[in-house]
Amino acid sequence: MKEYSVIGRPIPQVDSVSKITGRVKYVNDFVIPGMLHGKILGSPYAHARIMRIDTTKAEQLPGVRAVVTARDFPMVKFGIPGLEDELAFATDKVRRYGEAVAAVAAIDEATAEEALDLIDVEYKELPVVLDVEEAMKPEAPKVHEHAKNNIGFEVHHHIGNVEQAFKESDYIREDRFETPMALGASLGPRCSIADYDPISNQMTLYTDDVRPHLQLLGLARILGISEKKLRVIRPIVAGSFGNKGLIYEVCLPAAFLSMKCGQPVRIERTREEEFVHTRSVQPVVTYFKTGVKKDGTLVAMECRHLGNSGAYLAMGPRAVLINVGVFDVLFRCPNVKFDGYVIYTNTIPCGALRGISNRALNFGQQCHLDMLARDLGMDVVDFFLKNARQKGDITSARWKLDSCGIKECIQEATKASGWKEKRGRLPATRGIGFAAAGHCAGSRYGSDLSTALVEVDDLGSVRVISGRADAGQGSGTMITMCVAEELGLDVEDITINEITDTWFVPWEPGNYASRGTIQQGNAALSAARDVKHQLFKVVAKKLGTTPNQLEAGNKHIFIKGSPDKNVSFLSAVKEYRDSGKQMPLVGRGYYDPPTEDLDRNTGEGNFSIAYGFSIQIAEVEVDIETGKVTVLKVIAAHDCGKVINPLILNGQSEGSISMAIGTALFEEISYSEEGKVLQTSYADYRLPSVWQETESDTIWVESIDPHGPYGAKGITEVIAIPATAAIANAVYDAIGVRIKKTPLLPWKILHGLKEKNRV
Amino acid sequence: MMVIKLATKEQIELTVNGQFYEVVVKTTESLLDVLRNQLGLTGAKKGCNVGECGACTVIIDGMAVRSCLVLAVTANGKSITTIEGLAEGGDLHPLQEAFLQYGATQCGFCTPGFILSAKALLDENPSPSDEEIKRAIEGNLCRCTGYTSIIEAIRAVAGSSKKK
Amino acid sequence: MKFEYIETTSVDEAVSLLGRYEGKAKLMAGGTDLIVQMRKRAIKPEYIIYIGKIKGLDYISYEDKKGLRLGALTTIRALEKSDEVHMRYAMISQVASQMASVGVRNIGTLGGNLCNASPSADMAPGLIGLSALAKIVGPGGNRQILLEKFFTGPGTTVLDKGELLVELEVPLISSRTGATYLKHGMRGNIDLAMVGVAAVITLEEDMDTVREARIVLGAVAPTPVRARQAEAVLKGKKITEEDIEEAGHMASKEARPITDVRAIAEYRREMVHVFTKHAIREALKRAKSV
Repeated sequence: MKEYSVIGRPIPQVDSVSKITGRVKYVNDFVIPGMLHGKILGSPYAHARIMRIDTTKAEQLPGVRAVVTARDFPMVKFGIPGLEDELAFATDKVRRYGEAVAAVAAIDEATAEEALDLIDVEYKELPVVLDVEEAMKPEAPKVHEHAKNNIGFEVHHHIGNVEQAFKESDYIREDRFETPMALGASLGPRCSIADYDPISNQMTLYTDDVRPHLQLLGLARILGISEKKLRVIRPIVAGSFGNKGLIYEVCLPAAFLSMKCGQPVRIERTREEEFVHTRSVQPVVTYFKTGVKKDGTLVAMECRHLGNSGAYLAMGPRAVLINVGVFDVLFRCPNVKFDGYVIYTNTIPCGALRGISNRALNFGQQCHLDMLARDLGMDVVDFFLKNARQKGDITSARWKLDSCGIKECIQEATKASGWKEKRGRLPATRGIGFAAAGHCAGSRYGSDLSTALVEVDDLGSVRVISGRADAGQGSGTMITMCVAEELGLDVEDITINEITDTWFVPWEPGNYASRGTIQQGNAALSAARDVKHQLFKVVAKKLGTTPNQLEAGNKHIFIKGSPDKNVSFLSAVKEYRDSGKQMPLVGRGYYDPPTEDLDRNTGEGNFSIAYGFSIQIAEVEVDIETGKVTVLKVIAAHDCGKVINPLILNGQSEGSISMAIGTALFEEISYSEEGKVLQTSYADYRLPSVWQETESDTIWVESIDPHGPYGAKGITEVIAIPATAAIANAVYDAIGVRIKKTPLLPWKILHGLKEKNRV
Repeated sequence: MMVIKLATKEQIELTVNGQFYEVVVKTTESLLDVLRNQLGLTGAKKGCNVGECGACTVIIDGMAVRSCLVLAVTANGKSITTIEGLAEGGDLHPLQEAFLQYGATQCGFCTPGFILSAKALLDENPSPSDEEIKRAIEGNLCRCTGYTSIIEAIRAVAGSSKKK
Repeated sequence: MKFEYIETTSVDEAVSLLGRYEGKAKLMAGGTDLIVQMRKRAIKPEYIIYIGKIKGLDYISYEDKKGLRLGALTTIRALEKSDEVHMRYAMISQVASQMASVGVRNIGTLGGNLCNASPSADMAPGLIGLSALAKIVGPGGNRQILLEKFFTGPGTTVLDKGELLVELEVPLISSRTGATYLKHGMRGNIDLAMVGVAAVITLEEDMDTVREARIVLGAVAPTPVRARQAEAVLKGKKITEEDIEEAGHMASKEARPITDVRAIAEYRREMVHVFTKHAIREALKRAKSV
């Protein structure tokens, strides 16, 4: 295997120094001269008709500079292209608690808040529906007039003949599972500053969105401002986990307020608002039916997937379309049936959380199959190995697995965890559980073109310009390392733009769907190669050879096999300049993977250039007196393609496991009967604390993907998924109680124990 | 005879990172807001503004304190250390160095609070046990790291080789 | 947040200010509860009277004959770290160390925690278990009442207009007394208690028979409550496991828990049973150890 000088090294993230010294500026820290402070008035009802809005008193309050409602601007619907159903401000009715009705800009937050109290809105309450299965009943309140039985979207993916296959199965199992909305709940609350210049009709938006360029396109359409007149500036993002992508709830009111008063307007959410509004993985109800042969061979897999999209479709359709492919990404099965429904309710609209809604499907499926294997008297690991996908497989949704380390991951994880020795042999109240996940490792969402520039000035300084939106996962460091490796330089020799400014940074869709590594990495790599080749031409002449005989390394360019015949990188740049070539030396790079969008009716399509896999084995201890579950240890084996930076990867893995522990044990957004969000603080929405820090052992399986930079694949989503089911399976192993609805709260455990003892 | 002075603004004196400041503050303002908005020290973060996340932690007279829960006016005369005051003479504080080397910062929003909570601990107890480290940072939330690297970084500075 | 801020440096002044702004003012000490409630707009006082600068209310003093006196402005952190408290009233420092986080304990005060009167507050059950007395100053002079009688409901106390809490007095503890407070939070101490149980058990000279037992429950009723029937089960007995079981059972019947975002009522009731038993066992163990 080729030896690398930078790739594979545990290098601290390139922007870490600014973070540990407190110098880094998030959008929350930005101050624009003349900046006003905005607040959004949310509906106090989850479902109500708006009869009247009177903003007169608020407008008259000293210090108030602008009040906006749906009357002030033409309201353009936004959402999934073709299925747009959402507005910046509610017009005729509100469909969820907290839905924006008006917004105020004032000289300070306190004044803006006071003004909110002065806005007089008359509502006529309507019946509320929160539960997805209730919403599908004919007599349920209608959230949108056009949606019969509140079905907003559906997808049907049928391969083979499931009905026939069930008849031919030796054994069939059916289960129902439920998962609530769980949040990224990153520490940095959402914040935007909109700065509109009415003379030139130009808008500058400071954002924390992880898709700045896409946000620009979306906003231009909604605001009615030319794309050329919109500029989006994205400083370092304070955590996202999928919760900060293409969601307009903060930036749109700020933009409209700024357009109304011609001054910069900042809106930062309070933590309470974060909990009431954050769009994340949707609540899902799943029904599974699986048929197998006696030896465990999968014959038929069926899933009915009811996604609670909330008040608007938002990411709901996207989530279910991706779950079509997720359904059999891990297994070979000839007959597959997936029926997905996206249902409107009076709750928070669907967003994404590390894997969009994969974790909802995964929890059910991995628990269901654990039980199925137990029913068969099989070790679940053997069941997985028997049916696991392999490199070269094309799934029923046409996902093309050009690299696939599932089996290696299973072998490594079972070995490291002592699975064979521990399974069924741990002391009472202790258990061990297994789960697997597969997810896209760089998927498209419409355009998937990433571009980058590598610029070398005449002092030899190398700058990478990339439109990524790093939210802490280290994409900037990954890109820098790829460029350094390619140019034979050190990471310290290279700088990368910290801020993405759409006026100066070339097109880049952003950081979602684990696409940073492959798409952005490849684009930067291609720009670095462009620079290298331009230098090689000049150096070849000087060394009396041809460019293809040259290599870059150790800050030099030299003849392959004869490192002493070299020119330093710096001299090469001088040579380039002196040879009359134009400076700065610029490398242009792009990457546009040969993938396809998902079919809207079937969810089929090879929409990701690569797919990542993660196997996790959890050991738990259950306190049967209190019902508390303690996760003792998680062994994780991830197929990441290739390790670019082990320090970052291990950090990602530990954080992912922690998040999955939270989803398994504590975290949920729930509602009162009237539809109010109950968890409105970190005290009530319980993230894992330092006391839930768990021993983890991470193994990286390098399957070397043919498409990724140096063989690497994106992993931030897939690694955050399986531990939740692994924990639930371990709890079953420990006490024989199966909890089919996350989180595994202590009273559910105790209730389960009582039920079990009664039987 | 009691004199009641109803002030909506008041001038206070603060020593922040060794620098003396006279600041006029609104009596309703938190110390966090004054540090961020008036002194430009944005290293203290507003993560929740109700004392539940720890991102606003600063050190006041040697103690780690939630600056969002302190009215600035009540901090009159106090000596405060923020994250900006840790690196001396261009050198990183050992805790900062360790956070860097152990990858204990990802998105970074919680990092200043963790470092200052850890500093207050180590100033008082230079070789804490893992239990003591956890107790010192139990009120600081981090969503990115899962805490392992943070504990390792603090442990490295504490010089304690103890494994949990 | 909108309020007028008034700073005071004496108890008398605070009393007179409270009288002047009756019903419109709130006292602030550490502010860790009050500021949160104001930020969440749960309360909107017009005046904040800051008492943190009053001298002489921040003390921990112990006298062999009288016991422990704690000034209302003593921080939770000071209680946690005081050697005096730790040596003689270990439960109090144990309770203090289980509250919130260091960053909050460093400014939050004993008086503030008690006067905030949250049903789930940790300080009250233990101090009630130790028969603490609350010293109150008001326009009509001083009075002292049992802390047990201090709380009247969630967020409300017996403090009358113009009154403030200035001191907690904790009587001497017999060498044959064992005390403990167990807190059950979902993730650990940083969580508010789903259930809190304090047990204080004093043995007869035979070191076996229970002379007095106090069981105090937190977070399972509008105020901290004594589980008197559970106490009655233990009193005068050489305690057996059956007695402990019975006491736990009685305590869970005496609890009046509600379902909220933190836990369901049924679970809380069950946990009263579980933690009462653990607390009794631990208190007994401590009472018997010399």
